[in-house]
Amino acid sequence: MPVLLLITLLVFVLLHAAPGDPASMLLGQENTAADLEQARRRWGLDQPILVQYFKFAAAAATGDLGKSFRFSRPVKEVIAERLPATCELAFFSILIALTLAIPLGVWSGARPNSWIDNVGTSFGLFGISMPNFWLGIMLILVCAGSFHILPSGGRSTYGVAGAPQTGFYFLDSLLDGNWAALKDAMLHVLLPALALGANMVGILMRVTRSSVLDADTEEYVITARAKGLGDRAVLWRHVFSNALIPIVTVAGLELGTLLSGSIIVETVFAWPGIGSLLITGVTSRDYPLVTGVVMMYTVAFVVINLIIDALYAVIDPRIRY
Amino acid sequence: MSAKKLLVLSVLAVFAGAAAKPTDASAQTRVTIGVTETMETYNPYGDSVSLLYGIWCQVMGCLGTYDFNKSEYVGMLAEKWEVKDPNNWIFHLRKDIKWHDGSPLTADDVVHSFNRVRNDPQSKQGQNIAPIASASVVDKYTVRFTTKQPTAPLPEYIFDRLIITNRAIYEKYGAETADRKYPIGAGPYKFKELVPGQRFVITKNIDYPGVKQLKQAPDEIVYRVMREDEQRVTALLNGEIQIAQFIPPHLQKRVESDPKTKATAVDSVEIMFLAMQPKPPFDKKEVRQAVCHAIDRDRIINTVLQGLATRLDGPIGPGQYAYDPNLKPKYDYNPEKSKKLLAQAGYPNGVDVELETPVGRYTLDKQINEVITQMLNAAGFRAKLLTPEWATLWSNVQAGKVPFYYMGRGSIVDPSVALSQYFETGGSPRIGFSNPKFDKLLATERQTFDPAKRKKVLSEAMSLLTEEAPACFMWRHKMIYGMAKNIDYKPTPSGRMFGEDMRVLK
Repeated sequence: MPVLLLITLLVFVLLHAAPGDPASMLLGQENTAADLEQARRRWGLDQPILVQYFKFAAAAATGDLGKSFRFSRPVKEVIAERLPATCELAFFSILIALTLAIPLGVWSGARPNSWIDNVGTSFGLFGISMPNFWLGIMLILVCAGSFHILPSGGRSTYGVAGAPQTGFYFLDSLLDGNWAALKDAMLHVLLPALALGANMVGILMRVTRSSVLDADTEEYVITARAKGLGDRAVLWRHVFSNALIPIVTVAGLELGTLLSGSIIVETVFAWPGIGSLLITGVTSRDYPLVTGVVMMYTVAFVVINLIIDALYAVIDPRIRY
Repeated sequence: MSAKKLLVLSVLAVFAGAAAKPTDASAQTRVTIGVTETMETYNPYGDSVSLLYGIWCQVMGCLGTYDFNKSEYVGMLAEKWEVKDPNNWIFHLRKDIKWHDGSPLTADDVVHSFNRVRNDPQSKQGQNIAPIASASVVDKYTVRFTTKQPTAPLPEYIFDRLIITNRAIYEKYGAETADRKYPIGAGPYKFKELVPGQRFVITKNIDYPGVKQLKQAPDEIVYRVMREDEQRVTALLNGEIQIAQFIPPHLQKRVESDPKTKATAVDSVEIMFLAMQPKPPFDKKEVRQAVCHAIDRDRIINTVLQGLATRLDGPIGPGQYAYDPNLKPKYDYNPEKSKKLLAQAGYPNGVDVELETPVGRYTLDKQINEVITQMLNAAGFRAKLLTPEWATLWSNVQAGKVPFYYMGRGSIVDPSVALSQYFETGGSPRIGFSNPKFDKLLATERQTFDPAKRKKVLSEAMSLLTEEAPACFMWRHKMIYGMAKNIDYKPTPSGRMFGEDMRVLK
């Protein structure tokens, strides 16, 4: 709670300190000074900043994050509408990242300086170095523009999915038994998930490789080999399981980076998630919306860290809270 | 078969036959348009952007619209209108227009809509009715608008912008439920779906007078949000959309070189200008005129903009109301003359100026201003280019804090409103220009209801403005639309996109 309060206060102050206000951004260019003043009065922007903050904090304590100036709807409703899109994108980014990074990292670590290691390292460097917005545009141009094998953006093709139930298109299509919608959703999420997950692939691959290299030299590994265990069993049962702690730590940290990276990727791919919502909020100085989204990110980070901490206890039985 | 192999085969089966082309449900004809504005609110008064005015006008209805082909305002829900006296306009509604639920559209709905624009807490369209003191019902199909002052350009304010909504539904359900669950309009297209941040879908209303005959107009239009240029163009080439709005010049060739697509350019009604506040050094007319002579507009248009702009020699261009091709002076490119003017103004050794431009707000804005800065430096100025973030620049401009900046003013059909806003004393702090003679001319044109006489007064005002040069009027960009070859559509300069103007060819 103190963290949330501090973050919201900081965001509030920074937003108000930035030049511009919602009235000047959201009214049409034909607006007059009188229109601006009226809008500011209506939205409570004519009051002292501390008064505005305390009103916001008091309402937020009851779960009311206020009404978005831009969208004319409750901030909670706007965020709830967009959150499933970001969650789906994040989920598939992580899935792709873990699926690619961990096997690559393990094989690279198990066979240092081999061709597998060189390929894996190159892949990892590519993922770390490539800005995700550039990668996103390249994927659009190649996969959609040149080869026409995937859609260029958006979350779904109009007319394929049924009425939304949960907002999670994959779940909704499974609940409906609509396989066309499921396929459509998978095709749409692939490119943005690749663009977003590439950076995480690079970092996780490198961390996995280092952890495996470290674990491989431990005495229990040498003992396992001496006892006659095969390479595969040694690698996955002993080396990998003991290399997991640093991998999980970095994965947890990278999840936070992934959430912030989604801001750019969602804009490039017209993905209607929280990231593109935040961009819209910041550029239109929509104070309630930006504050609400940042609060949501803060809560997400805290929850992710809790989950990571809990995972430690699962991975390493020696850790008990 | 192992579990792993089964999983791989299942995933492959789902992707089998994957195609980027839509496999969507059938509509007789559907046109999907990639647009750059985001669509977020169900409230027709909750946004003030050109695209949404166009969509809501089609769905809910507007009193009228500007017909660029005829160069005049034409009625939509209004059959005709008259100026009873300088402060009273009477609008006669069409009797054959019905709400989509079959009930008649009446003057009550128009007055209700006016009141909603004024009083709805979410309304961002108050400026559209700023000159109107009140709206009242004369009879079932007649509305009176009483203006605060004589306002000859009243149609510029309310046509295409005053969205007419249903009073009975509003009173029965309240604003929020009415807008979200009962978006019943009276326009040539019906509301089908709005997914905030993703798409707005409308379907043809064959009960609207004249629409049944438009067999080739699309039965369904999907406006899809696609803000990234590369994505929008790729979607067009991929067949995901049939019209792509606002193709940047450097991507035009990609669209034209594809056998399935074409590019169409149209002059926008947005004027681009360099504004100069009358503070040192721009308090001297000679310095302002020196800026105008320093810039080789033709060269910028032909090179940076690849020919995709039309030069302005005054505040407005061809097709805009009261355009006069004979305005003087004309600011030819003449850096030597700029230096002489600077010397006359007391700056024989040049003068320091800071030019501010947005980035990514207008076509190639930063690149254009990099060239302008060089041209200014070659003409005796010591110019520095600043590129603040748009929200920062715009709020500073509105507060009158930016002495020299590059900007556009859109939606200009009748220039009266824009000229008043930027150049009339007290219009806005954006420039801070003040000239009593110009003020008098604008006041006169607003009270002149005879079109020929009004155009003459406007022309005189614009001539004065060109001479005084509080802004250097640069050009109007050509808006490029990419389209599938089977789409016959001439985009409007205003950026409004009406389904009735489109034809889907076999």
